[in-house]
Amino acid sequence: MDERLEKALEFSNYTLTLNNQKQNIKNRVAQLQLVHYNGGVFVANQETISFVKTMIDLDKTVDGVIIDSKDNPIRVKDYKDLLEKLVDAYVSASQEYAVEYDKLRKSRSIKSIMDW
Amino acid sequence: MPEHKDKQGVCFFVYNNEELDYVDLAMLAARYVKEYLKLPVCIITDEGTHGWLKQSQSQEDIDKFVDYIKITTDELKPNIRRHYDSPYTEFKAQFSNSNKHKIWEYSPFEQTLLLDTDYIVKNSFLLKSFEYDGVAMFNNALSIRNDKPHQNEILLYDQGIKMWWSTVVYFDRSDFSKMFFDLWAHIADNYQFYQFLYNFPGNLFRTDYCVSIAVHILSGMEQSNIIHNYDDEPMYFVSQRDNVIDANNIQDWICLGNSSTESWKDILIKHSNLDLHVMNKRALLRVKPKLVEHFNAR
Repeated sequence: MDERLEKALEFSNYTLTLNNQKQNIKNRVAQLQLVHYNGGVFVANQETISFVKTMIDLDKTVDGVIIDSKDNPIRVKDYKDLLEKLVDAYVSASQEYAVEYDKLRKSRSIKSIMDW
Repeated sequence: MPEHKDKQGVCFFVYNNEELDYVDLAMLAARYVKEYLKLPVCIITDEGTHGWLKQSQSQEDIDKFVDYIKITTDELKPNIRRHYDSPYTEFKAQFSNSNKHKIWEYSPFEQTLLLDTDYIVKNSFLLKSFEYDGVAMFNNALSIRNDKPHQNEILLYDQGIKMWWSTVVYFDRSDFSKMFFDLWAHIADNYQFYQFLYNFPGNLFRTDYCVSIAVHILSGMEQSNIIHNYDDEPMYFVSQRDNVIDANNIQDWICLGNSSTESWKDILIKHSNLDLHVMNKRALLRVKPKLVEHFNAR
C-alpha cells in the first residue's frame, strides 16, 4: 500500500476511536449531571444552576415551583438545598470530564487511548 | 432465608442451559452489584441450576455475593434463541424467560431492581431507581460505538410502538406496579394474539415485547411518562457482534465495536464508568477470569 495512504488510514482509525471515546465521556458526564429532587429530575447545567440562583437572589422562593426536565411542576421547599445538589453534581461531572478529556488529549495513538 | 429483611435489593433470574453458564454470569454481575450499588442480591433459579451453583462456585463467593436464593418450579417454555459471538460465530440456546413477570411474587424486596445476568453495573446510576414510584425501565439504548440499536429494537416494527427493554426493571410494591406485572402476565399468556395485534417479528418469546405492549396499554395507547425511563438516559450495550477482549482493571474494559453496516470492521473501545448490557455473553464469560483477578488483586 502507498505509504501516504497507509498513514492516512491509520490516522483515520485513530480519529474514529478518539471521537468514540470523547462521546463515551460525554455519556458518563450526562449521567452525573442528573439530579433527582422531590420527585423531579433536573440537569445540573449552567442554565438550571443560574435559574435556581436567580430565584434565590430575587427572593422568589416562597411556595416555589420549578418545571423539571420532564416538564413536570416540582414544588421546591428549600432552594438552597436544591442549588447545593445541582452545584455538587455539576462540579463532580465537570471535574471528571476534565480529567478524562485531558487524558484523551494527550493520547496520540489508539494504544495510548486504550491505556492498554 | 428471611423474607423482607431488606427493603431494597437486586434480583437475577438464573436458568442454565447447555451453551451458556448463567450461574457464572450471575456471579460476576452480583460481584459488580456489590461493588457499585452495595445492595443485597437475590438469585431466582431452579433446582438443577442451584445444584450447579453449589458445584461450580466456592461457598465463600456464594456467601459473599448472594444474599437470597429462591428456587422456582415453573415449567420453562421451550424458547430457542440464536446467539452470536462476534460476527463470525453463531449458536442456538434455550432462553428461559417465560416466568420473568413472576418477579413480583419471587422478589424478597419491597423495592426491587431486576437485572439480566448480562447487565454489568459499573457505577451507582441505578440507585436513582429507588427514588421513582411505580415502575422504571430503559426505552433508549446506545451501543459501545454510540450507534442506535437495530430498528426493530427501537420500534416493535417500522410503524410500531416504542420498544422498552426488560433488561433492567425497577418496581415498588404499589398497586400500579402490581397492575403492570399482571398485565405483563396476561400478554405473556396471549403472546400470539399480541404478536398479531402489534405486528412484531420472529418466533422468539421476548419479554421486551411484553413490557413494551404493557407500557403502551397502560399509557392509554399513546406516548406518556407513566413508566419512568431513567430520565431518557440510554442503556449502553455490547451487541452480540461486538466483543470484550480484555480489561485493564474492573472498570476499564477493552472492547471491539463491530460496524453494523460493514461486519469486517471493528474499532477498539475503552469502556469505563458506565453500566453495560453485554449481549455477547460468551465474550463476558471469556473475560470474567481476568475481571475476577482484578477484583482479587485490589
